[in-house]
Amino acid sequence: MASEIKEADHRASTSDSEAGNVDLLETNDIPGNSDNTLLVVSDSYADLNYVDINDSDIKSHRGTINALVKKKAKRGNSVTTADDGIAADANENNGRDDEDVSEHIDNTSGNNVENDSSEVSVDDSQDDCLEQNLADLSLQETEDIPVSHLIRSTSDSDYVNSLEWKQQRKHIFILSDSGKPIYSRHGSEDKLVTIMGVMQALVSFVQDSEKDNLRSIVAGDHKFVFMTRDHLTFVGISRGGESTQQLLLQLTYMYNQVISVLTHTTLTRIFKQHRNYDLRRPLSGAEKFFDNLLNLMDVEPGLLLTSVRCLPLDSSVREVISQTILQHAKVKDLVFALIIAQNQLVALVRMKRYHLHPMDLHLIINLINASESFKTAESWTPICLPKFDAGGFLQAHVSYLDEECQSCLLLLSVDIEAFYILSECKSRIKERLIRYNALEAINASLKKRSYSIQACSITDLRHFLYKARSTAQYTSPEFETPYHTKEEQERLFSLYYYLHDRIHTSGRPLKILFHVGQYETLLGWVTQGFELYAVFGPLVTKMTAIHAVNKLLRWIKREEDRLFILSSATF
Amino acid sequence: MSGGKVDIKVVLLGKSYAGKTSLVERYIHNRFIGDTVPYQNVITIGAAFGAKTVVINNKSVVIGIWDTAGSERYEAMSRIYYRGAKAAIVCYDLTDKSSFDRARFWIGELQKHEEGCQIHLCGTKYDLIEGNPDLRRIDEKETKALAIDVRGDVYETSSKTGKDIDKIFVKIASDYLNSKRETLEEETSDIIKLHPSKKHFCPACRS
Repeated sequence: MASEIKEADHRASTSDSEAGNVDLLETNDIPGNSDNTLLVVSDSYADLNYVDINDSDIKSHRGTINALVKKKAKRGNSVTTADDGIAADANENNGRDDEDVSEHIDNTSGNNVENDSSEVSVDDSQDDCLEQNLADLSLQETEDIPVSHLIRSTSDSDYVNSLEWKQQRKHIFILSDSGKPIYSRHGSEDKLVTIMGVMQALVSFVQDSEKDNLRSIVAGDHKFVFMTRDHLTFVGISRGGESTQQLLLQLTYMYNQVISVLTHTTLTRIFKQHRNYDLRRPLSGAEKFFDNLLNLMDVEPGLLLTSVRCLPLDSSVREVISQTILQHAKVKDLVFALIIAQNQLVALVRMKRYHLHPMDLHLIINLINASESFKTAESWTPICLPKFDAGGFLQAHVSYLDEECQSCLLLLSVDIEAFYILSECKSRIKERLIRYNALEAINASLKKRSYSIQACSITDLRHFLYKARSTAQYTSPEFETPYHTKEEQERLFSLYYYLHDRIHTSGRPLKILFHVGQYETLLGWVTQGFELYAVFGPLVTKMTAIHAVNKLLRWIKREEDRLFILSSATF
Repeated sequence: MSGGKVDIKVVLLGKSYAGKTSLVERYIHNRFIGDTVPYQNVITIGAAFGAKTVVINNKSVVIGIWDTAGSERYEAMSRIYYRGAKAAIVCYDLTDKSSFDRARFWIGELQKHEEGCQIHLCGTKYDLIEGNPDLRRIDEKETKALAIDVRGDVYETSSKTGKDIDKIFVKIASDYLNSKRETLEEETSDIIKLHPSKKHFCPACRS
């Protein structure tokens, strides 16, 4: 894919302009924007650089849940004592965790580093041994180390050398800073102890000797991107078209997913107490969230744009839905109530003064998308939303509103005891939504899928992504010929990645980019109000493209009530 | 947490992959999908709630069942699921020794925090050892000894065939009805005791 673009570049006439064509935009009315914001306006991508990656945003958002719980205490609610009890529980439990390490043999983690030993001391020494090896490695005294120490068994090294593993387009690894494997996208992390050791050695070598951080390595077609946060090292390796910054964004999503399962507080505490802790234990059962999130990144442009897609609905129907939620979920301590259908946002009601961040919403969507278990019964589950508050859990009441399990209702509360109240709210909401034919409308919209590019009636426009910046929402048509096959969709995605990268590259951000490629012409355009990425047929001239884009903006403006959620309901 | 419409709160505890969700699925929906759906896809997140009405001696009782996730990270949360539970079904996989250790852990937790909770021991996946007795890893003697310890019953169930599943819940429901009758009787005796307190009323009346 990358080579194709490069090839195209050679004969391409790429022109970019900083301000250029003054009268580009014919209308001042930016579609899909509204002052009444629903989501946190996010420019996460622009903020994404190594300088402020040190959890500054995590810290600034800490304590939101605490504040809410305190507010609850002020109301003189006796439930708070119960909450304190749970906090104590967590501490107690943590203490117990430590005992567990020594008391129980964890059968599920047949780790290669660990011997099958039940004693933590043995475990430690094993690890120290490995660390010693790594330290030696970083001092480049490799010849002194018996090879058998580094390569545990031939079958493991065979696996890493297998063509199937090597030919994966993208690898994502998570390891602890003592080099313990935590997650690998392809293959079992057990078999990758050696390779993860090498990665950790590279990271710590740079850290130790240069007092610097390893950011990325380029080797041939492959790009290696490293991100270290909270004792965890995230490594992304790709030979797709992603830029360093885009891979970094993907790694940030992975980090957020870890936080979402454990909370930042627990994560830091675990590693403070045990540097060698096998994080796969508390993460067991959450692997599919990582897998699913990575799959989602490959098909869902919203993660790249840090914005969400709304299910197209008549604004009157959407109004009925949010009013129903508003009236029948008027419960104390309910922070967010939302309906999601097939990865699209249907409606969102929020507590006054609190906003949902698109990155958090993607984690919620991923939670729903990855779990079948919600389909069988009402669930009550803790979820941490890192952008909202990385320090604690919200409790989520999760249930489907219809038999086919299309529309999922989530009620997120800070009250851990609220299940039965929320369950009643859910029954009332469901009943009303059926009575007002709102569920029917949702299902009808889902069946139609999104909309055809032909609805815009613009010749030669093949596909586009349009993000309204002030509302953090985006819209795009269905994939149609020529992008109906998986391969072509992947190619289209890499074009978007390319366009997105060229426009946002921190060194030289652009406002407009017109790119003539081998098979299509691309136009990227970013203003204060929106981001637009449009794909045209190969023979389109710059003038035609600009005309077309203006026409497209007018079309989106006409449809904006249906495609975006412009008003935000609050409890 | 106490439910409004629920008469008995029952909680299922046990190691992940012990078969708690399958047990509930069999009991509430009378179906078994464990053979067709990979475990990874249906692993419980947090806890799932289901309710079923049973009729015993012409009395209907609503059983609210909390199916908890087995993953360790939910341990800290688990107290909210078993708080106020009338009965706990502690599950272990008959073919997995470690799951029984985990069951002991849960029993310890229940005894420490929830004294009023009746514990039922439940060995799962009986169909597997029925087909091949060599697969049994948990000795019946051991489970019976533990049951005497906790003054509860032992069941060896199969969600695949449905063996003994209803039995547990029928037992839980009739236990509840019996205890309710007892408390009712106690309450009636309470009322009689209330009579002397009428005396206290008199001084107030005089003034």
